[in-house]
Amino acid sequence: MNASNSNPNSDPNPNSPAPAPKPRYTLLWISLVVLSGSLLVLRAAMAAQGDGGAAAADPAAQSLWTTVGIWTAAILTIGVFSFLYRDNPLYKVCESVLIGVSAAYWMVNGFWTSLVPQLFGKLMPGLVREYALPAMPVSTTPGLDFALACVPLVLGIMLVWRLAPKGGWISVWPIAMIIGVTAGLKLVSSIESDFMAQLGATMRPLVAMNGGFDFWGTIAALVGVVGVLTVLTYFFFSVEHKGAVGKTARVGVWFLMITFGSAFGLTVMGRITLLAQRFEFLFKDWLHIG
Amino acid sequence: MTTTQHNAGGSAGGSSFLARLGNLDRRWIFLAMGLSIAVPTLLKLRFPEYPSPMSKATFDAVESIPEGAPVLLSFDYDPASAAELQPMARALVHHCASRHQKLVFMALWPLGKQQADKTIETVLKPFHPEYKEGVDYVQLGYQSGNEGVIKLMATNIPAQYPTDASGAALKDLPLVAGMRDLSSFKLIASISAGYPGAKEWVQYANGPMPDAFKVVGGSTGVQVSQLLPYYPHQMEGMLVAVKGAAEYEMLVEAKYPIAQPEVIGQGRVRMGPQLVAHLLMIGLIVLGNIAMVAGRSRGGAR
Repeated sequence: MNASNSNPNSDPNPNSPAPAPKPRYTLLWISLVVLSGSLLVLRAAMAAQGDGGAAAADPAAQSLWTTVGIWTAAILTIGVFSFLYRDNPLYKVCESVLIGVSAAYWMVNGFWTSLVPQLFGKLMPGLVREYALPAMPVSTTPGLDFALACVPLVLGIMLVWRLAPKGGWISVWPIAMIIGVTAGLKLVSSIESDFMAQLGATMRPLVAMNGGFDFWGTIAALVGVVGVLTVLTYFFFSVEHKGAVGKTARVGVWFLMITFGSAFGLTVMGRITLLAQRFEFLFKDWLHIG
Repeated sequence: MTTTQHNAGGSAGGSSFLARLGNLDRRWIFLAMGLSIAVPTLLKLRFPEYPSPMSKATFDAVESIPEGAPVLLSFDYDPASAAELQPMARALVHHCASRHQKLVFMALWPLGKQQADKTIETVLKPFHPEYKEGVDYVQLGYQSGNEGVIKLMATNIPAQYPTDASGAALKDLPLVAGMRDLSSFKLIASISAGYPGAKEWVQYANGPMPDAFKVVGGSTGVQVSQLLPYYPHQMEGMLVAVKGAAEYEMLVEAKYPIAQPEVIGQGRVRMGPQLVAHLLMIGLIVLGNIAMVAGRSRGGAR
């Protein structure tokens, strides 16, 4: 919870009263974890496994692999939660499994969704169609496709050249191209959607009329304009932030803080949803309770 | 709550309680948070939802397009965000199908295709059996390329997707055979968890063609603050995390009831634990601050 709890020696104020000895809850926590774990496993072992409540009613939905999958997911979920008690070998295993599976997945995904259809499929379409992607459409311009595919092939080889002991500078050229293309792609869309369109959305009547005087619309317009101007003032560093500029910037800071608070609140909501969904899985799919 | 010092003198009553609170083992808080979510989940607590303007605008955007018009649904998320986004995906598909919209599914995330398949299996096939693949809906699947996919689709859909996910040529599928570019759609809905997602749909689809179609989005709580500036001018409606999903579910179910309400009720089920967990969190923040202030006044720290 705090630095002084985990490391009493790190107290920055040597004159403050000594912290009280922390109660020894270890035995209590271990008993709680073991008891809960035993009850969960017992309940899960007695329950019919399957996809939610449907499995209990429909024996056809039960299968050995469904059961194995649900148990694996449940053990991994509990393994990750076990970190809340303290770091432990089960958590380490879960963490390693996640990293390993993710790395392998992205490698395989990149190979089969980018390299095979978009590079090898253009360079040697017959071979790829025969052994990898039978549904790959037949191109009407195979020669042009081959020539165009040679460009990313060469750039790709140049990019991985940085792994070679000599000639690392060769990889700078494809990186330059990636940066240039990305900047070109983003520039137009950013000016169009994030600058011009946003300016248009900000320039609106301060007194909102919606069939008559719209009080809340007017308040929203005022808050929007004041927020934009004060936050821009805060980020305007060519003038020292004192006097009227300083006060305006101070208002801008309040707008920023409210924005960050709102973003944090939304993040918390997302995390709670994830936890709720995990509990739903454990209760419904694994334990069949509730 | 972070630097409270224990009152070694052991003053009685509230002061002692606050001192202990400042020294509370964090695992009690984890346990309380776990219970605050587990108990409402088990009890299936539900609370009434009142639709926000953004959820209402999303509903109205779907209602405003002609019945039977083509809709593009982009599933830009993976199972890690399904807890927040799958409820809104289900409700959106049920809403569109109830209005007989032609549905084109696609994904900018590799596992988005599986999420779309899951939605088709859970909502479209059981509750809208009249939908025929290739005629009423098409699953285009995933293509790598991030925003490049959108950019190419804006001018030439068959160049980006020569076939659907099952390998059938687009020209052989009646629904998409005549589609040239994104202007063939009346509505584009991106359910997104990050990059690439709803932001890129606004930038690369709505930007060049602002009047060709409507764009609505559903997003995770983490991403919402990036998308809020686009509402309501560049994005007609937005579903904000699981709260937006719950509100939208309520609007959809009120007008288009479904035989098994729980199929489009996940968002509302997950709002029960939200309320209890938020109340706990607010209580802990207030208590923690009281303990911190009390600790400062006792210990004279800072």
